[in-house]
Amino acid sequence: MKVFDVIVIGGGLSGFMSAAVAANRGQRVALLTYGSGSLPLASGAIDFLNAEAPDAAIKNLPAHHPYKKIGLKNIDAAAKFFCDVTAQADLPYNGNLSAQIPIVTAVGTLKYSCLVPESMDASKLADKKKIFVAGIKGLKDFYAAMIIDNLKKYFPDKIFEAATLDLNLLGGRDITCMDAAQLLTGNEQIFADGLKKLNATEDDVIIIPPILGLEGNSSRAAVKSQLRAEIFETTCLPPSPPGIRLQRAFIKYLQKSGVKIFENSKVVRGVVEGKKITGVVVENAVREKIFPARKIILATGGFYSGGITMRDFDNPIEPIFNLPVFFTTGAENWSNENLFGDKPQGFSMTGIFTDANLNPIDEDGKILFENLHVVGANLGGCDKIFERSAGGIAIASAYKGATL
Amino acid sequence: MSDIKAIFTGDRCLSCTACMANCPVMAAVKEYRGPKLVGPAHGRMHFSQEDVEESLNYCSNCKSCDRACPSGVAVSTLNMLQRAEYYKKHEHLRHEDMLAHGERMAKLIRKIPFGATFSNIGMSLGKTLGVFSALGLAGERNMPAYAATAFKDYFPRIKQTAVNKKIVMFTGCYINDNEPQVGEAFIKVMNANGCEVLIDKQFKCCGSPLVVTGFLDEARQHADNNVARILDWKRQGIPVVTPCTSCSLMLKEEYHELFGEDQFHEAAENVYDAFEFLEMLQERGEFNDNLKPLNQKFLYHVPCHLKSQAIGLPAQNILEEIGGVEVKTADAGCCGISGNYGFRKDKYEISMKIGAKLFERVKKKDFDKVISDCGTCRMQIHHGTEIKPVHPIEILAQAY
Repeated sequence: MKVFDVIVIGGGLSGFMSAAVAANRGQRVALLTYGSGSLPLASGAIDFLNAEAPDAAIKNLPAHHPYKKIGLKNIDAAAKFFCDVTAQADLPYNGNLSAQIPIVTAVGTLKYSCLVPESMDASKLADKKKIFVAGIKGLKDFYAAMIIDNLKKYFPDKIFEAATLDLNLLGGRDITCMDAAQLLTGNEQIFADGLKKLNATEDDVIIIPPILGLEGNSSRAAVKSQLRAEIFETTCLPPSPPGIRLQRAFIKYLQKSGVKIFENSKVVRGVVEGKKITGVVVENAVREKIFPARKIILATGGFYSGGITMRDFDNPIEPIFNLPVFFTTGAENWSNENLFGDKPQGFSMTGIFTDANLNPIDEDGKILFENLHVVGANLGGCDKIFERSAGGIAIASAYKGATL
Repeated sequence: MSDIKAIFTGDRCLSCTACMANCPVMAAVKEYRGPKLVGPAHGRMHFSQEDVEESLNYCSNCKSCDRACPSGVAVSTLNMLQRAEYYKKHEHLRHEDMLAHGERMAKLIRKIPFGATFSNIGMSLGKTLGVFSALGLAGERNMPAYAATAFKDYFPRIKQTAVNKKIVMFTGCYINDNEPQVGEAFIKVMNANGCEVLIDKQFKCCGSPLVVTGFLDEARQHADNNVARILDWKRQGIPVVTPCTSCSLMLKEEYHELFGEDQFHEAAENVYDAFEFLEMLQERGEFNDNLKPLNQKFLYHVPCHLKSQAIGLPAQNILEEIGGVEVKTADAGCCGISGNYGFRKDKYEISMKIGAKLFERVKKKDFDKVISDCGTCRMQIHHGTEIKPVHPIEILAQAY
């Protein structure tokens, strides 16, 4: 096998982004994935930090925070590159790092995020007189009445109306948002006709489940052009169409840029020569295969994706390169029993520490491998869920890791 | 390795739905409840209850779910085990029996003088007269034509120089009965790489068509027979190599997943896909790179059962060693046929719907030839586009 310039390990957001950035810089890239990655489960929105002005707030983070190592310039460039990838797949995103945009969740709360799919951008919700919430007959897990109850807490003075459209989806299995999106692709008219019957005006908005196709923006465009009111998609339970659209946008970009994607390829260790890694070893059912590379990007995720594992308490392991993993010591600091409380979870800080080049370091700060860069959820030092930074760290660290 | 047996992997399922998002059958038909519910969920319950999940019938065993799963659940094999359970209490339909036993059919036909010619006429007549449709086969399809002489019978006439380095070719049914020219190309390539090719007439069909139609006991007999043979060759230090990706997946991985015992894994270690073997020679510096330039562009449809093997894309890598050759992957997903799945009358439409994206890609015709390592993928592409693909080893043979 020919030597790759870059091998990216991991098919989640940070893996896709790393591969895209490296390929864009003319490098010969292989992406090794095991499982389809987290994007089909994701909302599609990219959170950077839970703050009114995330870019300003990033400046005040402590020095050990991944964002501080990545630097604001890279974070900004990553956001632009990301939007460029999605735009090329006709999947427009709105937003930037200096403010957050609201989107409506599946239960009718508002969630704020820096980069959101145009189809979910609910910024204009506050200006509207009447809010329609349109459910679909037979669709699982979308409850218009509950969404309205919760939205009323934000907008007590607005008029709400729930509607149920029949798109002939019944017959067969229980229909998820992904199924509805698939079945509507190419059959958008029946949906547009149903929405038109609501007689919503320019002053109104219609909130719908995320069922406008699984690729790009064409289903949405077909429906939107026939309506006077704006339509916003909510988030949903997985499999999530907005996440699938994002995944497909990246895959399209990677294929077009000549990135080789190897599925089902579980990397078990590196081929180590001193402080360099010259290749990675993939284990299949019967034997091992070496994929040689000049540079490796580790994007295997944290606890949730197997990028970090833990069999014995106080001994978390990075299973491929056996990198040192830093974590909060003491069982009493490990978790916070108030799950959605106002404090981060100790265990969530677990991860690999790096220098400013995202090279993994040991506890003395010594670089372990010069051509290995760690990106995404296996970077340690912050609770990405609590501070809502997972998406931003994923794409920004990937951008930096791939441009070094 | 010990926990590879499918039934032990079900407990790893987190219900994350990644398999659903990647299932081509779910995307094509809403009656199928999907890999998550049918495989790991119902699969585990099923062994303790008598209830039947009817939509299990829709799974094509393309293994997209297995590749999508981040937790290593053998989803499709859980489905196949349940299918076998189902047929313990239900009769097989006539077309299921026919499609599962292609090897038996071919043998019967060749016992008749000029049998292959007559049966090929019979195939087209049968199609015209609607006999296939009445049997439950997809009347829209051409049945694969039988070669006048099976490859294994023709094999002794192929001249080879005896050398120390030997390999055993596992021909697979499709190459043996329908496309012997692929077998000839295989021998030419291996000879050019210093290997003498042996044939073991005691090998039976790998069992893949039996597994997907629920004849698991019979598949087990094939597995036991084949594994005993492979282990015998292993003791002699002679590897078993096959140019069929579904055969190699069955021999390397699915036997062990389905039946669990250690000998399946021991045998699997001695089995190689054809291009995996060539790439291994290349890595050892033993590959014959004295290749004539061909100056052709190829569109490569990577079979699902090759993707599942986690061996990279060795055919693309090797073919690109030939001067002027460019190999582009089709990147258009599953072709839809999944072995004998698309030959069933009630699955034909689903199979064509799944393949639509690939057909569209092939019809762009921005290449000289389509290549694919899998025999039924090649049939499906031919049927869906009127463009006849070849096995990559036929291309490599031309360069020697």
